[in-house]
Amino acid sequence: MAESVRPVASIPPERDVTQRPGVPRLDSFSYDDVVVRKFLWATIIWGIVGFCMGLIVAIQMAWPAFNLAPWFSFGRLRPLHTNAVIFAFAGNAIFTGLYYSTQRLLKARMFSDTLSKVHFWGWQAIIVSAALTLPFGFTQAKEYAELEWPIDIAIAVVWVIFAVNVIGTLVKRRERHIYVAIWFYIASIVTVAILHIFNNLSIPAGPLKSYSIYAGVQDAFMQWWYGHNAVAFFLTTPFLGLMYYFMPKAAGGPVFSYRLSIVHFWTLIFMYIWAGPHHLHYTALPEWASTLGMLFSVMLWAPSWGGMINGLLTLRGAWHKVVDDPVLKFMVVAITGYGMATFEGPMLSVKSVNALAHYTDWIIAHVHSGALSWNGFLTFGMIYWLAPRLFQTPLFSRKLAEAHFWIASFGIILYVVAIYSAGVTQGLMWRAFDETGRLAYPDFVETVARLIPMYWVRVAGGSLYIVGAVLFAYNIFRTWRARPATYDVPVVQAPPLPGAAAPAPAPTPVPAGAFARFVSLGWHRKWEGLPITFTVLTTLAVVIASLFEIIPTFLIKSNVPTIASVKPLTPLELAGRDLYIREGCFNCHSQMIRPFRYETERYGDYSKPGESVYEHPFLWGSRRIGPDLAREGGKYPDLWHVRHFQDPRAISPRSVMPAYPHLATSDLDFGVIQSRVDAMAMLGVPYGDAITDAAALARAQASQVAASIAQSGGDAGLETREIVAMIAYMQRLGRDAQGNTGNIPGAAAPTTPDVVPAATAGPAGPGGAR
Amino acid sequence: MSLTEIMSNAGLSGYAEIALLLFFFAFVLIVWRVFRPSRKQELERHKDLPLDHDGPSTPRERRSE
Repeated sequence: MAESVRPVASIPPERDVTQRPGVPRLDSFSYDDVVVRKFLWATIIWGIVGFCMGLIVAIQMAWPAFNLAPWFSFGRLRPLHTNAVIFAFAGNAIFTGLYYSTQRLLKARMFSDTLSKVHFWGWQAIIVSAALTLPFGFTQAKEYAELEWPIDIAIAVVWVIFAVNVIGTLVKRRERHIYVAIWFYIASIVTVAILHIFNNLSIPAGPLKSYSIYAGVQDAFMQWWYGHNAVAFFLTTPFLGLMYYFMPKAAGGPVFSYRLSIVHFWTLIFMYIWAGPHHLHYTALPEWASTLGMLFSVMLWAPSWGGMINGLLTLRGAWHKVVDDPVLKFMVVAITGYGMATFEGPMLSVKSVNALAHYTDWIIAHVHSGALSWNGFLTFGMIYWLAPRLFQTPLFSRKLAEAHFWIASFGIILYVVAIYSAGVTQGLMWRAFDETGRLAYPDFVETVARLIPMYWVRVAGGSLYIVGAVLFAYNIFRTWRARPATYDVPVVQAPPLPGAAAPAPAPTPVPAGAFARFVSLGWHRKWEGLPITFTVLTTLAVVIASLFEIIPTFLIKSNVPTIASVKPLTPLELAGRDLYIREGCFNCHSQMIRPFRYETERYGDYSKPGESVYEHPFLWGSRRIGPDLAREGGKYPDLWHVRHFQDPRAISPRSVMPAYPHLATSDLDFGVIQSRVDAMAMLGVPYGDAITDAAALARAQASQVAASIAQSGGDAGLETREIVAMIAYMQRLGRDAQGNTGNIPGAAAPTTPDVVPAATAGPAGPGGAR
Repeated sequence: MSLTEIMSNAGLSGYAEIALLLFFFAFVLIVWRVFRPSRKQELERHKDLPLDHDGPSTPRERRSE
């Protein structure tokens, strides 16, 4: 698809209107649609890859035998699915629409064709890097931020290149007013950069291994400040920008209310950034932060629905077009999906609702109802609209597009109905007590086995969505095949800024008095015309909102009361924790017991903030497909764990956990343990003698664990295998809070003055103890 | 005295309320500004921006694929 580029020919003098007497000077230029076409193809290709990864992990949940190999197991492929659909499919879709609309809205070619190319190829290289590292267990264990530090640096560099290209285009624009879609793009660009950089700050412990600089509560806070706003500023605001451009184009009329779009923009920017803590209700996060997150989430109802109504009412007087136009069909369902998802999101942030929904499939259903409709359908609608214009030929088949719409819509319905049912079912089963006051379903696996039929319905729904996507790809491919031998490249003319043909708006009368001048907001009108100032101020709005939550979380000591008996993991346990991260166990197991009776009855005492002060990164999890492991230590003998890892269904016949026989056959890399301990020590973990002797300490403990297994009737000779490290870690979980500490010579307890005994270390906020 | 100690002793119990008021003030300011009748014409004319670049664009040249 290489497109050779020739310089734009000069306009013949007899046709150049600027040569006529009395006509002000106009610039002649063309738009760079080559890069738009590239991003369009990347969107389609990565979309199908990402959807298929989703189907694979969906099958693995319903049929665990489909975990065919270590690199093909749920824990490793689930992050590949989320990264592929968010950053590869949605990311490329954003860039497709943004590069097309930005040039036209600003009446300027992109600032630099070279930067556009570097952005395109750099982003695709990052996606390939993700595909090559995640299945092999290289992960930071932070949701949607799994990629390891070298790739994180590459993302930051490519994103800055993209930002420079967009800001440069803004600076050289020929349209005085910056349309609201561009505001959404700017806010997305600056906020994603801030979120990515600060959440991914880490200390490298190897070429593809690092530890987050934050620990426990702070790491959880930063992760969900990032995680929620990744949804907000990657899956919402840029797509709103696309909606405000492509919906009027498809409908053939302007947006319903431009003033409403401005309020929509500012209120979203102000509010979204506060909402992250609602992902951590009833955890060890301070109560005030959790409440603040809930409050702002509920307030998000208003702007989100304002935006949805604005989008839908753009069709006023043109609803009849929806019957015949698949583009509008996709967009109407997309915007409706946005409305439903942004109604449900605030509802889920209400603590009492969240108590039922958290850790269940309800959250998965919420995410997919938004992503499949809002992001997916908006992308499909946009590309169906773009394809005839970019390939300069009619769409191959409108009927095929209609079929895509109905098949995919039915797929979404099947998916969400099944998974909402699964979520509510499991949440209710977890909290059910029988008439004697005992848990009605004490065996966790009962609450999973009940979901399997619903998981198969999800597989069916997802398959239909993929069938639709394949029809879509075929339709666009056939459209491309019918393209002309050479593309027309229109030469556009527009006056430069400032120019005689584009006079500045008449000055607004300046009111007398300082207060009157302030509230007249002429200063804001001026900002809108200054792209760099506008960008800086948007950034400030986001940063200030973030700091309101981050500074107290990090600096007020009472937020994280430390516990005297909590000590660092031993080197072998740390190696086991790294294996836990490598295998993606955190995708299915939480390590955060909430202060509810139905949780403490099932798992043990609720989790305290002080328990995770050495947790780089935190591993609280967000979904329980398996039971919580925060108090797993000492529950079962070592041999039970060996048998369970080798074949979970031999221990629990209805378990859906993948088997990990390779842990008992793969050698543990004792050579890297010292560098891992050194990295943790750099982060302030008091490692004592392990700083100089980590490998020897690990070997000694491994021999003890292996001997215990052999004495119990298990295989001998496991002291060099990975499984001993994993079991050592499992047996340590939750033991410190019970007063049983690790055994590193010289390892120190927390030294801060507010150390409290384990028995009294409650949650930070008043809402914690229930 | 470290920053941590300063923050810990600052008595920031009303921090969340301050944040809420800050937002509320900004929100009222924006709504008032945007929905003033005198700004309606000025703002609403921008809504046509996505539609006004589809006019005739001449001349055309050919680019080979």
